[in-house]
Amino acid sequence: MIAINYQRKELSSKLLKIGVLLLALGFIIALLGYVIDHERAAFNGIILLMFVMSVGLGSLFLIGLEYLVGADWSVPFRRIMEILAIVVFAIPVFSLPLFANLHTLFHWTHIEDVMKDPILRNKMPYLNEMFFSIRSTAAFVLMFIFWWLLAGRSFGQDSTPTKNFRKITVRISALFMPIFAIVLTFMAVDWLMSLEPHWFSTIFGVYYFAGTFSVALAVVTLFAIYLNENGYLGEGIEGDHYYNFGALLFAFTNFWAYIAFSQFLLIWYANLPEETFWYLHRWEGSWAVISVGIIIIHFIVPYAVLLPQPAKSDPKRLKFIAWWLVFAHFYDLYWLVIPTYSHSGAVFGWMELYPVLIALGTILILFYFFAKNKNLLPIGDPKLPKGINFHL
Amino acid sequence: MSIEVLKEPSVIEGKPTFVEIDEQISAPIDKLPNIKYLIALGITSTMLLIGIICIGATFFYGIGLWGNNNPVGWAFDIINFVFWVGIGHAGTLISAILFLFRQKWRTGIARFAEGMTIFAVMTAALFPLIHVGRPWLAGYLFPYPNQHHLWVNFTSPLLWDVFAVSTYFTVSFVFWYIGLIPDFATLRDRTKSTIKKIIYSILSLGWRFSNRHWHNYEMIYLILAGFATPLVLSVHTIVSFDFAVSIMPGWHTTIFPPYFVAGAVFSGFAMVQNVLIIIRKIFNFEHIITLDTLEKMNKIMLATGTMVGYAYGMEFFIAWYSGSQFESFVFINRAFGPYAWAYWIMVSCNVVFPQLFWFRKIRRNIPIMFVIAVLVNVGMWFERFVIIVTSLAHDFMPSSWAYYKPTLVDFGILVGSFGLFFTLLLLFIKAMPVISIAEVKAVLDGAQPHHTHNGGHNGK
Amino acid sequence: MENKIIYGVTGIFDTPDEIISAVKQVKSSGFERFDVHTPYPIHGMPKAMKLGTSPLGYFALVFGLTGAFAAFALMTYLMGYNYPLIISGKPFIPIPAFIPVTFEVTVLLASVGTVLAMLFLLFKFPNNSHPLHDTNYMKKVSSNKFGICIEAKDEKFSKMEVIEFLKKIGAKDIEVIYYDNDALNFKINIFEWKFVAFLVVSALVVSGATYIVLNKLMFAPPFNWMMGQHRIDAQVESKFFGKDNFSMRVAPAGTVARNTNQFKFSGQPELAEAKLINPLIPTEENLRKGMKKYDIYCSPCHGYHGIGDARLNGQFPNPPSLHSEKVRNWGDGHIFYVITEGQNSMPSYSSQLTNEEKWAIVLYVRALQRAMNAKEEDLK
Repeated sequence: MIAINYQRKELSSKLLKIGVLLLALGFIIALLGYVIDHERAAFNGIILLMFVMSVGLGSLFLIGLEYLVGADWSVPFRRIMEILAIVVFAIPVFSLPLFANLHTLFHWTHIEDVMKDPILRNKMPYLNEMFFSIRSTAAFVLMFIFWWLLAGRSFGQDSTPTKNFRKITVRISALFMPIFAIVLTFMAVDWLMSLEPHWFSTIFGVYYFAGTFSVALAVVTLFAIYLNENGYLGEGIEGDHYYNFGALLFAFTNFWAYIAFSQFLLIWYANLPEETFWYLHRWEGSWAVISVGIIIIHFIVPYAVLLPQPAKSDPKRLKFIAWWLVFAHFYDLYWLVIPTYSHSGAVFGWMELYPVLIALGTILILFYFFAKNKNLLPIGDPKLPKGINFHL
Repeated sequence: MSIEVLKEPSVIEGKPTFVEIDEQISAPIDKLPNIKYLIALGITSTMLLIGIICIGATFFYGIGLWGNNNPVGWAFDIINFVFWVGIGHAGTLISAILFLFRQKWRTGIARFAEGMTIFAVMTAALFPLIHVGRPWLAGYLFPYPNQHHLWVNFTSPLLWDVFAVSTYFTVSFVFWYIGLIPDFATLRDRTKSTIKKIIYSILSLGWRFSNRHWHNYEMIYLILAGFATPLVLSVHTIVSFDFAVSIMPGWHTTIFPPYFVAGAVFSGFAMVQNVLIIIRKIFNFEHIITLDTLEKMNKIMLATGTMVGYAYGMEFFIAWYSGSQFESFVFINRAFGPYAWAYWIMVSCNVVFPQLFWFRKIRRNIPIMFVIAVLVNVGMWFERFVIIVTSLAHDFMPSSWAYYKPTLVDFGILVGSFGLFFTLLLLFIKAMPVISIAEVKAVLDGAQPHHTHNGGHNGK
Repeated sequence: MENKIIYGVTGIFDTPDEIISAVKQVKSSGFERFDVHTPYPIHGMPKAMKLGTSPLGYFALVFGLTGAFAAFALMTYLMGYNYPLIISGKPFIPIPAFIPVTFEVTVLLASVGTVLAMLFLLFKFPNNSHPLHDTNYMKKVSSNKFGICIEAKDEKFSKMEVIEFLKKIGAKDIEVIYYDNDALNFKINIFEWKFVAFLVVSALVVSGATYIVLNKLMFAPPFNWMMGQHRIDAQVESKFFGKDNFSMRVAPAGTVARNTNQFKFSGQPELAEAKLINPLIPTEENLRKGMKKYDIYCSPCHGYHGIGDARLNGQFPNPPSLHSEKVRNWGDGHIFYVITEGQNSMPSYSSQLTNEEKWAIVLYVRALQRAMNAKEEDLK
């Protein structure tokens, strides 16, 4: 057993500066966007919302998963996830402009059209503004509660470890898993699937989950490598720890491809018009290029980069692929959302930049402020030495 | 902070020595079968005989002996096929996926689970063969240049099944055999009988425990595990495509692939757990197949059972949400129609009873967990029954609806499939080491050098 | 003893820690041709022995790519070029539908190929005549001990020095291993009579069994069901359906064409003639329709012009001419009646023709009759 050699180090204010810069730029673009073309801006707002939700909710899921399976290697990184999970509090903020624009975003809010359409009328008990808002609010509240239960409680352990902390948190994690599944599914159905209210797919929640997991893990990887390389995480974290990040990113790249392919193949094969139109929208004009691009960007490139064993523990390549997966998730969300806004072909302009800028800026700023006075390792956790001394 | 938390309990209890491991694991092979074993073999081979008689009758008189009727053209044959393929999946999960996740507790049960995979896939493969009525023409399933100048239909999910199941069987078999080679070599050097020695020498291929070999051997284990993992997902995915690519309401739903995989792992773990409970009792393997291992398996059952429950719920929700009257009808008909009894058996066995595993006491209580796992298997069999029969029996045309009733021959073949599976399993137990000797030795306390520096084992 | 060729010297260690440190000393003393034998893989041993990365990953990559390419190319060729078929409205080369099989073949080839390459290329298995087999050393390392073997092929090898060296690093039970002369001098003779006899017998058994299975067994019950099955050929006498010798089935009595009511005047031609009036007027459209249906249903017997000169003339009781005095004097209703109910050998057409089509035929028959018996004034 080795002693933990950890000294708290002040976070570099570079993070904050970059974050503020990104956020300010994004905020200006968003503001301009809402003034000039509020419809397009609102659609981009969904990308922003769902990306931040992926990172926040995904981090909570990673914490829960670690407790449940009793993983050792990720213990030194759990604090990063706990701090990162704070972005769940930004989700309601980003949803406000969307709630103000529900009528522009969602076809099912147009009661007069809904009454003319028997299928949409059938969905009215579910797809109405009242119930929609209740669902989202409930989801946000659940995220806050579980942020406290899974992440927030952990910070106090650094100074005053309580007995049975792990035991209780494992139970909370078990409880969290089904709730996470339901929250994530209904958020995906509400904010992404109901953009095309006629379309339906039972796997959609799993599809969004696959993206969520890989992007949350990618963001954690980025922070972990950055912090470790700059000496914030003490000593002893090396290739074998990185290997797990690489292997999991690789696994979930494949998982995403598996889910995406299953959904596509089944709809393509059965060829039912009530399902195929969703893909046909994504095959119109220049959307076809974007659709083919998603295979390359979200699957082929990360697959090829992560396939060799050394790549999985090489921080350079890992950093590259983690950034790439962040980009891929934005791309994926763009592909899910924007075809509803622009049917005939892909549009890309300055306005599409704001979700990226605001999301990254928010994550950086929240991380900086929240991590500032905290240990970046969960030093109260008795498993930590084992985690640091982890070898394959 | 207490030090107990840090000390991970050993996966093997009781600190046995290497020689004791050799002796205990090879004991069932070395000793003559006792009366209990013979009774068990008698029962399973009787079941097998029933199945053989029913299959023989089917070949002679044709599949008119089965209960299949006009709308329900697929019934017990494909239900049993999907059920048995699913049983096999737990084996690969334990041997490959848990290996990749470095779960040491898998060591005691991996070999056995792999064996179950192979026998389950063999049992499953029986059904596609017999359901065509003329199994001797099964060669047509494979693409080969033939005198008809005809090729198989590569766009058919049924053909994908041929590729998936045969690949799955081959790779599982290779994986299993690779694991057995060092154990055969150990047995070769232990045995006193000349015939056994010749057999083990041939089977062990001349393994010499060389570390130049072990080095590649560990690599191939990793590679095979890496291939087996997506393979096992693909197999049940393709099985689910058999249904999901159609336009049949209740079959055509996009969640089918992951839902089938979760269900397969679920039922497979239940079956592995059932059999292991019996094996560890009969052959005194309690300290190798520990209660902790069984508890972990119960946790996995709880997780996969809940995933299956999620899929049930999602299917119901989307059936309503889709606004398709056929979809909504099928699901209401499942829950409240003529097959409601099967549906509620499925829901209670698959979703409700496994929830008892939330309680640690039940997870560690052998009789109760045994009963729950039996129920899970019943429930998973009924899941396939519900999916296949209810959708077919009430399809688009109400004029052709009909109620499906299986015949005695159907049940005879089902009994026979269990007979085949358990007979093979019993023979395996007596013929080969059911626990990997080399792997168990490697995870014993003190089996690995102490880490004095960072020169950890290089698994890459 | 002195004739034997030495293979190497072995020594035994008790714990994994000992063997690791022993290996490091062997390595640092400059030995290259040595091997370590342990009952299970020891963590850190490849590093201590300074073994490089295993090449198997590249094997897997090459085999996998071969499988993927071969499967995809084969399917593309077969489905797209060799025997193109449209299946469920998909293109001839439906790429998404090729992915499952491509994946399976990739995995199959990559895993089986890599395993075979490892066993046969890298390990040179099967090899049961290695000098280490059946030694006490092997019995120990296959169970609970850890051993080192320094081979005679090593450049620095000398029997006594190596024994001393092993003793120095703490090895127990030091043993010298010799090649087995019989095994060493063994030469394969493919013309040995036992081997030739084995080949001949297996060839006979395999070909005989194949012959019996394919040429005898497959023609024995129950495998021969579908060879002797009952069947019908159109227009040929057949007992398939029973005693009436008809291969084609007659529609059940009372069958009518779709959208047609039951005929009210069954068995009452006079009443039909009296009550039924042709609702159609002789427009060109109606006449053309009548001609079309007449040519289909009536002309095979009555001929295209209603003279009874069709191809079937002479094979059946000859059909009557439609230009006879009798037919010309029938009312429209009577012709309609005959079409509906049949007459003598003529069957009923009620299941094939709707009322409207029958009336159109009546019109056309009238037109034929008038054409055949044209009067002077018709030419004007």
